[in-house]
Amino acid sequence: MSWKTKPSSTMQIPRRAEPYVSPAVAERWEREIVAKYHVRQGALMPILHEIQHEHRCIPYQAMVEVARFLGISPAEVLDCATFYEEFSLEPRGRCTIGICQSIACEACDHKPLLDHCRRTLGIEPGETTSDGAFTLLAMECLGSCDTAPVALFNETLHEKLDVPTVDRLIAQARQVPAGSHHH
Amino acid sequence: MRLTEPVLTKRIPGCVPGISDGGTAARATVSFEQYKATGGYASLAKALDMEPAKVIEFVKEAVVRGRGGAGFPAGLKWSFLPQDDGAGHRYLCINCDEAEPGTFKDRLLCDFDPHLILEGIAIACHACKLDTAYFFIRGEYHHQAKVMEKAIQEAYAGGIFGKGGLMRRPGALSVDCFLHRSAGAYICGEETGLLEAIEGKRGWPRVKPPFPAVKGLFGRPTIINNVETLAAVVPIVEKGVAWWKGIGVESSLGGMPSYGTKLMGVSGHVNRPGVFEAPLGVKLSTLVNDYCGGMRKGKRFKGAIAGGVSMGVLGTDQFDAAMDFDIGRACNVLGLGTACPTIFDEDTDMVMVARNIARFFKNESCGQCTPCREGSGWIYKLLCRIEQGSATTADLDLLLELGMSMGLTPGTTICGLADGNNWAIRTIVGKFRGEFEKRVKPKFVPVHVSAH
Ligand SMILES: Cc1cc2nc3c(=O)[nH]c(=O)nc-3n(C[C@H](O)[C@H](O)[C@H](O)COP(=O)(O)O)c2cc1C
Ligand code: SF4
Ligand code: FES
Repeated sequence: MSWKTKPSSTMQIPRRAEPYVSPAVAERWEREIVAKYHVRQGALMPILHEIQHEHRCIPYQAMVEVARFLGISPAEVLDCATFYEEFSLEPRGRCTIGICQSIACEACDHKPLLDHCRRTLGIEPGETTSDGAFTLLAMECLGSCDTAPVALFNETLHEKLDVPTVDRLIAQARQVPAGSHHH
Repeated sequence: MRLTEPVLTKRIPGCVPGISDGGTAARATVSFEQYKATGGYASLAKALDMEPAKVIEFVKEAVVRGRGGAGFPAGLKWSFLPQDDGAGHRYLCINCDEAEPGTFKDRLLCDFDPHLILEGIAIACHACKLDTAYFFIRGEYHHQAKVMEKAIQEAYAGGIFGKGGLMRRPGALSVDCFLHRSAGAYICGEETGLLEAIEGKRGWPRVKPPFPAVKGLFGRPTIINNVETLAAVVPIVEKGVAWWKGIGVESSLGGMPSYGTKLMGVSGHVNRPGVFEAPLGVKLSTLVNDYCGGMRKGKRFKGAIAGGVSMGVLGTDQFDAAMDFDIGRACNVLGLGTACPTIFDEDTDMVMVARNIARFFKNESCGQCTPCREGSGWIYKLLCRIEQGSATTADLDLLLELGMSMGLTPGTTICGLADGNNWAIRTIVGKFRGEFEKRVKPKFVPVHVSAH
């Protein structure tokens, strides 16, 4: 867990003309998400999930618009967005590789996988390649300890991994062109 | 001690070796139709014929101890709810955070028999008069979230949830069930951290009291139960209290009994890791040798995490530990936890194990309490130093002192995460002290002697 704060209260946040929370989006969220919670703020995590999924990060402008939509302060949105590891203020790569580093995976040799990713991608855990293709993460237990070592490639879990398989998965992910969506 | 028939894994092949064929039988998600066709939702029908208070009594009598880690009896928890005050919503939150390293048992139920969980949820809502259930699932369970969402939709269409739901019984409560995905924070498995997350806040555990039964989600009465706890209620309603009490063991230490079957996920250095269903009280050595086909590569057993890293470790001489709720007092660990042991063979470096676990707690401390936030960081640093060979005996003492000063038991923190950290480190260092001593240099204390 870590705390990130807006660098300063006078920081200019990047803005674009097109709103993140368009009237159509607001209408759909109202129906599909807000309706499930008896207090509006309850809808915040599902909304942040949607934004993270779509943009691979939570843009500041989107946070301000979501705050207005839910009737809470932007600080409350920032508070939530920075607490959870799955949400990121910096854009994540088109393929996020999350190697499990918890005890069953370390006991079953996760290290060669992590080292291989480091070497092949030239980045450390927590970093994104400069072309925006990959983010490497060292994650805690993914709940699949019986098939250790494991890793998530975006939303897909890969079990009983070895270095050649990781290599193949990285090669496959490279085929995904920039600007497209890969799950 | 073996089960003669699978209970929670009735529809999931391969969980009770010797009964349903391990490994070879194909597993698939059981649909609503298949679930009903195999006797599903019959327990709910039976429960709906009973007065809600009667159902609570029933679960109380069966002593269904919580399967999420603490072993608190579910019936007792349910009876803490205030009587229906008619003033607003009452909630059930289903804890499927399952982020405790080494734990992967709830996932099995989500993957293959989601309606067993949903039936348990419906029964709990009837018993406790709860109108909204949130199925709280960890963010990393992408596939399981999809399976559960689909099953929930099926249950709405099948007349379990929604308006006119609960099997469309006249007078029955209408219950809503929603999926809430977390986003990667172990602390949200703690029940009040979980509530904060559903409320759209950072998952900081709350100071108790007030307890969630009185003031929980959105300030209203709330029950929080683990996935497996709710699933266990289903066969109990079907087959009765006496049957349930016939499985498992009484306490040998004069404590609360450990009745029923338990999902046990075994990982680490064994030949056939996986989730097995066993009666509580089964020996760890039986799980390893019998269920898991023995130690990998014929190596010797060195130690095991008892049930999730928070519980601490079992030593080499505790291979025959009985996996029941007495294990804490019997084997000097924190408790049974999730009953998902990770097994280590003779080649395992226990300093590495301690350092790995310490990093986990340092990463996952929510930072609210100073002893936990700072202590977890220091413990990790000290263990890195010991692992690299640059520590002294004084560091080892400091490590234990830090461990003992953080947690609910010394009374310095808000939640039990720090106790998990504390127990993990103290039991590893305590039971494998020789390994740590070999890695540290003696610290020479200057002694001034003056000659007269
Ligand atoms: C740090 C921490 C993490 C926890 N994580 C989980 C979890 O992932 N799943 C779970 O069911 N219980 C977890 N618990 C226990 C819950 O607080 C709570 O006791 C449990 O969900 C109650 O359900 P039960 O009585 O049915 O076991 C955790 C507790 C702590 C202190
Ligand atoms: S004990 Fe640790 S995890 Fe629990 S509330 Fe305090 S700081 Fe957070
Ligand atoms: S330790 Fe890696 S999946 Fe559990």
